[in-house]
Amino acid sequence: MKGLFFLVLSACLAGCGAGRQLHEAKKNTVMVEVTSQVWDYRLPWNPGTVSSGRGAGFILPGKKILTNAHVISGARNITVQREADPRRYSAKVKYVAHDCDLAMLEVEDPDFFRGTSHLELGGIPELESVVSVYGFPIGGDRLSVTRGVVSRIDYNAYTHSGRESHLAIQIDAAINPGNSGGPVMQDDKVVGVAFQGFRGDVAQNVGYMIPTPVIRRFLRDVQDGKYDHYVDIAIRWMPLENPAMRRHLGRSEDRRGVVVTDVFTEGSSDGHLQKGDVLLSIDGHPIESDGSVRLEGKPVQLEEIVERKFAGDEVVLEVWRQGRMETVRIPLRPADMFSLYEFLYEPPPRYVVYGGLVFQPLTANLMAVLSGSADLRLKQKYSMFALDQVYRETPEPVILSAVLPDSSNVYLRGLAGQIVREINGRRIRTLADVEPALDLPVDRTVVRFEGEGRPAVLKKTDVEAGMPRIMAQYRIHERSRTELGDRRLAKGEHPAPGKSE
Amino acid sequence: MKRFFLPLVVILAAVTLARAAEQDEPQGSVVRVRASIQPYDQFRPWQKKAPYGLNGTGVVLPGGRVLVTAALVANRTEVGLEKPGSAEKCPAQVEAIDYEANLALLRPSRPEFLAGFRGLALGPALRAGDDAEVWQLEKNGELLRSHAEILTVGVGRYPNDEAGFLQYGVRVSLPKRDDSYTLPLIRQNQLVGMVMMYDRDSQEGAAIPGPMIDRFLQDAGDGKYEGFPTLGVSWSPLRDPLLREEVSAPKTGGILVTRVNPRGTAGRAGLVEGDILLAVDGMKLDEDGNYRDPLYGPTAIGNLVRVRPKVGSRARFLVSRMGKEIELEGTYDRRARDEVAVPTLAFDSPPRYVVLGGLVFQELTGAYLQEWGDKWSERAPQRLVEYFVFQQEKRPDPEKKVVFLSQVLPAPINLGYQQYTGLVLEKLNGKEIRSLEELAREFDGASDRELLLEFRDDPGKLVLDTAETRVKQEEIQRSYGLPALRKL
Repeated sequence: MKGLFFLVLSACLAGCGAGRQLHEAKKNTVMVEVTSQVWDYRLPWNPGTVSSGRGAGFILPGKKILTNAHVISGARNITVQREADPRRYSAKVKYVAHDCDLAMLEVEDPDFFRGTSHLELGGIPELESVVSVYGFPIGGDRLSVTRGVVSRIDYNAYTHSGRESHLAIQIDAAINPGNSGGPVMQDDKVVGVAFQGFRGDVAQNVGYMIPTPVIRRFLRDVQDGKYDHYVDIAIRWMPLENPAMRRHLGRSEDRRGVVVTDVFTEGSSDGHLQKGDVLLSIDGHPIESDGSVRLEGKPVQLEEIVERKFAGDEVVLEVWRQGRMETVRIPLRPADMFSLYEFLYEPPPRYVVYGGLVFQPLTANLMAVLSGSADLRLKQKYSMFALDQVYRETPEPVILSAVLPDSSNVYLRGLAGQIVREINGRRIRTLADVEPALDLPVDRTVVRFEGEGRPAVLKKTDVEAGMPRIMAQYRIHERSRTELGDRRLAKGEHPAPGKSE
Repeated sequence: MKRFFLPLVVILAAVTLARAAEQDEPQGSVVRVRASIQPYDQFRPWQKKAPYGLNGTGVVLPGGRVLVTAALVANRTEVGLEKPGSAEKCPAQVEAIDYEANLALLRPSRPEFLAGFRGLALGPALRAGDDAEVWQLEKNGELLRSHAEILTVGVGRYPNDEAGFLQYGVRVSLPKRDDSYTLPLIRQNQLVGMVMMYDRDSQEGAAIPGPMIDRFLQDAGDGKYEGFPTLGVSWSPLRDPLLREEVSAPKTGGILVTRVNPRGTAGRAGLVEGDILLAVDGMKLDEDGNYRDPLYGPTAIGNLVRVRPKVGSRARFLVSRMGKEIELEGTYDRRARDEVAVPTLAFDSPPRYVVLGGLVFQELTGAYLQEWGDKWSERAPQRLVEYFVFQQEKRPDPEKKVVFLSQVLPAPINLGYQQYTGLVLEKLNGKEIRSLEELAREFDGASDRELLLEFRDDPGKLVLDTAETRVKQEEIQRSYGLPALRKL
């Protein structure tokens, strides 16, 4: 993760010898120029900072333009341009998948596609085989091509989401900011989308591309008109390599299987699997004692089987449970408990301002801006949110993220950065609980926090008198924004567009 | 001479005045102290880290003792005294040491070593604005005296104490001579403090005040060192009128007690969360927790309850509870600090551990977490950080230590377990484990075929074969060169 940067400012061309590949790539690689706005979680009512960047994309069958999610996240204006056509065309985001850093654009003007064809998706390239990267990286405005070999095929963090890991292919071609979203090609076919690399001071000649199984999954997912999140089996397991442990579980005679060590409540496996279950096969693929299965002849982690599925699909496990074999069918869904750790991009930050007190739900974005000022209890709650199943009690911890200085709150300024436990005697479990609790008919509003420490006490009449002043002073147009943005889908969807590092 | 000398210093501002000692014979009052330091390696509890040396300037006290900071001699392998200007050396023993107060008293192993030295008497307390000198020793034994100004007198943090003690903030320009800032603060040839911290950039430092030293010496002088008491409460200021109204505080004064350690001085005296503490030992507290010290003026409660009283003396509290004033009495003690599940300090004693089938178990201490560096609260296993920082909630029972798997020394017997670290142990073969001793005892007496280790977190359980573990113990010890398989 350390030092990974995005390649916005992108585009790649390759010249794997074959003139046809270059010709096709030239025709179908597009420069994507984006003006985006990034929400400021410090000042959640502000529309955010405007910035612009450049990436690449390419045309797939059906006039679909594929690029990285991080190229277009928070986009307010997108234009696309081809090498052969000086005009810049307006584009829109059709689908975005922040968890796998892919997005699809559409261009309404049919002129744009004049003279284009499309690129075809290929398979997973072999190690040490040569690939070409096309894009519009730093150093000029025309299409650029670099070449390199496939160095490694493995799971890797997709830094845009802040949490996800999927299959990624490491290549040694020079790829730089501006390459993001560009096609990586071999034998006239797209074998990946360039998306992240290391800063030069961390590692050289290490770039990553999103391989075609991930791209195909994205394309299939959006066929129903919306993107769903990746699904997760939501368990933890340990390898079953230790003979004493095998005997303990009654599995001495067999070398297969891993043991379930944790089942996340409210996750896919809740009610289906138990701690101590030994997983022997998944969808008919035998599971080795290190958790690997063979897929298309290659060893991969058993999660890869789940990775390729969609919300509502089932996975079938052969399970050894308390001395008996059982077949368990698990309907898959996203792991909501982990979505806390994903950066949010499109939905505007939610907040409530009351007498200068700013309440916000706990998010990865908020933690990123609080970092230093968050107290240890908050950091602890955040890091243990999924592990300790905090979400069962408090699905969305609410934080007093700031105190905007005003005459009505002079004694409260040191209280920011704490987790709100209750307001006027009401337990606060989500941001939606805040306003009703504040509206209770009391003279003094009392906000209590988790852990030891004093409560915040405000006089209701002072707050009412002070609010217009505070809102004018701090340029706050709305007292609160509590509705879930329409792009953050209620269940099972976790949009998270992104800015880079 | 002195009267003439001081105004001159003011004119020269921060310029160091280094003068060879002349007439006043003060150099017969300080010795160079050389300590060999070798801390334990918390990550490899069976060994120590590379040794290094520290030196500082010790003050000779009447009675043939030498005073230094505790920081100078923490984790020592040996301490020696050296006469300024001569190579004459003498080993010394630590007679009393207090890491919280950062003071240590040394006794030369040959009492005649200090014959001819003139012990310095303790001088009066200083106030902000007072002048003093800091003494250092040149290599050749000459005394180097730098003018110091007392900028502040207030309660602040000491290197190994969270709660805070009184300290002098001093401004002084100190040339670099020793590698430790353990230097006497002198006024009119009397000891008035001990510099313990110094920042070369701002030329400001912190000194332990004379009254703290006095209190330490009194305690050490009776042969049984008891240390400074502690109240065992958390509190919040009560300046906010709305908060005062909410908690029904009287018109003025007092602080809000937000947490009470039932084992502490206050808890045993009957204070409870929500009380408004109005006065201690007859001294009224203002809304910020300050009392009016006869010497220093408004001073934080820390000095009132930790330095003025001794362990075992009577404590009197005036609290307001539900709008009614009540008086409570107790005895000052320091159990809230000493009787804890996760101790903060672990100097001078080897880390305890038990190795079992290559699995290394340790008891959690602040010292272990500190080994993770400045960002320990982010880098150390989060569960361990939680047990340390929130131990009053998570482990209120001081007898129940936090025993955890710190690492696995890979061996065939622990195949598949080698990735685990920082796991808190709950049970062995169904028996709750409250200390390393209990773990060792349960292992030694285990009669089951397997050892079932249960942890607080994922993976929950690890299993070893009992007989095989016993057989392989020695082999693991040998192959990793461990001096012992356990240290209890």
